[in-house]
Amino acid sequence: MAQPAPKPAAAGAKVIPIKEDSLYESEKKIYARSVSGTFANWRWILVWITQAIFYGLCWLEWNGRQAVLFDIVERKFYLFGLVFWPQDVFYLAVLLIISALALFLFTAVAGRLFCGYACPQTVYTEIFMWVEKLFEGDRAARMKLDAAPLTADKLARKAGKHAVWVAIGLWTGFTFVGYFTPIKTLAASFAGWQLGPWETFWIFFYGFATWGNAGFMREQVCKYMCPYARFQGVMFDPDTLIVTYDAERGEPRGARSKKVDYKAAGKGDCVDCGICVQVCPTGIDIRNGLQYECIGCSACIDACDQVMDKMAYPRGLIRYSTEHALAEHWGRKEIVAHILRPRTLLYGAILSAIVIAAVTGLTLRQPLKVDVIRDRATLAREVEGGLIENVYRLQVMNLAEAPRRFALSVTGLEGIQIVTERVVEAPPASTQAVAVRVRVNPEAGKRGSNPIHFEVRALNHDEVFVREKASFLLP
Amino acid sequence: MKRLIWILWPSFVVAGIAEAVFFTLIDPQELYLFGEPVQYSRAATYSIGFFAFWALCAASSAFTCFLQTGSRELNRCTPPQA
Ligand code: SF4
Ligand code: SF4
Repeated sequence: MAQPAPKPAAAGAKVIPIKEDSLYESEKKIYARSVSGTFANWRWILVWITQAIFYGLCWLEWNGRQAVLFDIVERKFYLFGLVFWPQDVFYLAVLLIISALALFLFTAVAGRLFCGYACPQTVYTEIFMWVEKLFEGDRAARMKLDAAPLTADKLARKAGKHAVWVAIGLWTGFTFVGYFTPIKTLAASFAGWQLGPWETFWIFFYGFATWGNAGFMREQVCKYMCPYARFQGVMFDPDTLIVTYDAERGEPRGARSKKVDYKAAGKGDCVDCGICVQVCPTGIDIRNGLQYECIGCSACIDACDQVMDKMAYPRGLIRYSTEHALAEHWGRKEIVAHILRPRTLLYGAILSAIVIAAVTGLTLRQPLKVDVIRDRATLAREVEGGLIENVYRLQVMNLAEAPRRFALSVTGLEGIQIVTERVVEAPPASTQAVAVRVRVNPEAGKRGSNPIHFEVRALNHDEVFVREKASFLLP
Repeated sequence: MKRLIWILWPSFVVAGIAEAVFFTLIDPQELYLFGEPVQYSRAATYSIGFFAFWALCAASSAFTCFLQTGSRELNRCTPPQA
């Protein structure tokens, strides 16, 4: 039933607009100016390294197969010499814990290093902005172009940019899918236009996401979508390295003529040129202090250093520093000395402990797993000679990348024996299911369930050995 | 737009996690659909599974969003004149 809309409280009463915290508002587009300098070079080095790994690793061969492959169809993960099965999900959990701890540690030491240099969002944005600059020019040219009416030239520039963006996006999508289905088969079916529907779909899906995130969303992803951006603050402390503006040195800011002594005129080192704001990919003014939007990309450091050089002032008005260092006028030595502090030591200790445990576990891991399942249909039956027979299903998983032969035996009751085939042949990295019949004299145990053990040992590899518990039913 | 991202993005993340956990523990070939073993290829099951998770999580996010509607909006107060 439609309700009559309640009348506003009193005619003429002023309605006070509620100011909503606007997330994802249609913000002013940010035209980041390109920078060059030490940190920009570092970022490009990391772009090259991360992308060489991402685009290249999937083509690497190992033992005659793809070196790194999360084969979801076969449900096996290959990581160089290691093969992981769904049963190894424990190691996946450990890997996640290690990554999280490493992130905590890095963040405590040097803030958002990951964001500024290695996060895919930053890396692809950097690549896409480079393409954009190629077609549309730097900040001022781009602003002019966007404001200009549509001409053939504008259309050609925009189309060119998007063509390259889409190409990079699709290549990224293809590579991404290539980590989940063998990339060589993928490439072959692509060449023959025979991609499966789902593969095609995911390539386009991921390609579209890359194009959208790096081309359009950009800083919005960091500001509004990234959970890390929201909680990284809690890992900071006054000794964390962050991008800071030295307000003591810079203020009062202001334009000046090179001819007068600005210090005598009561001015600080900041010439208020606003370049640090123009280069900032998230569009903030670092001179207002540390803000959660700052991804620690150091573009403003590079930019301001150039301004300082031009003015012949010492560099580092904006620099990597810590809250303590700024307050106490510490130099590099004291900052470095404060890297080791209870918080980082604790993170470091936990991290190393887990890494050592995981590596030990991996080296000691048996390349063999056995699951024993009782046959539910036939519990126990009497066979010739008064013996009692139980039937089991043994899943023998050969994790090694070589064919193996395994010997089966059973212990736990006197005279207990396997009467079926006692050798299992398993091809490399495969699971063999065998039905095993076991017989024993009923006098050997008590009525009901008796504990027994299956032993599986690799022939010619005595150290590969697994003992699995099971129960034998006597009527 | 804002609401759409509020609904779709967190659900996308959670669906990704749910997908990973669910299919690591359960082999799609062991699933039953209406009493019949699942016939689709694994790739198809994974993909459909992901979208099913996403849809479910999005429904939850949408519900949260819906319940967050302020009393002002519910009372249909005349919008403030800008
Ligand atoms: S770039 Fe340096 S000098 Fe220019 S406004 Fe920023 S802090 Fe001041
Ligand atoms: S404030 Fe500086 S370091 Fe932070 S995001 Fe902007 S340019 Fe990068």
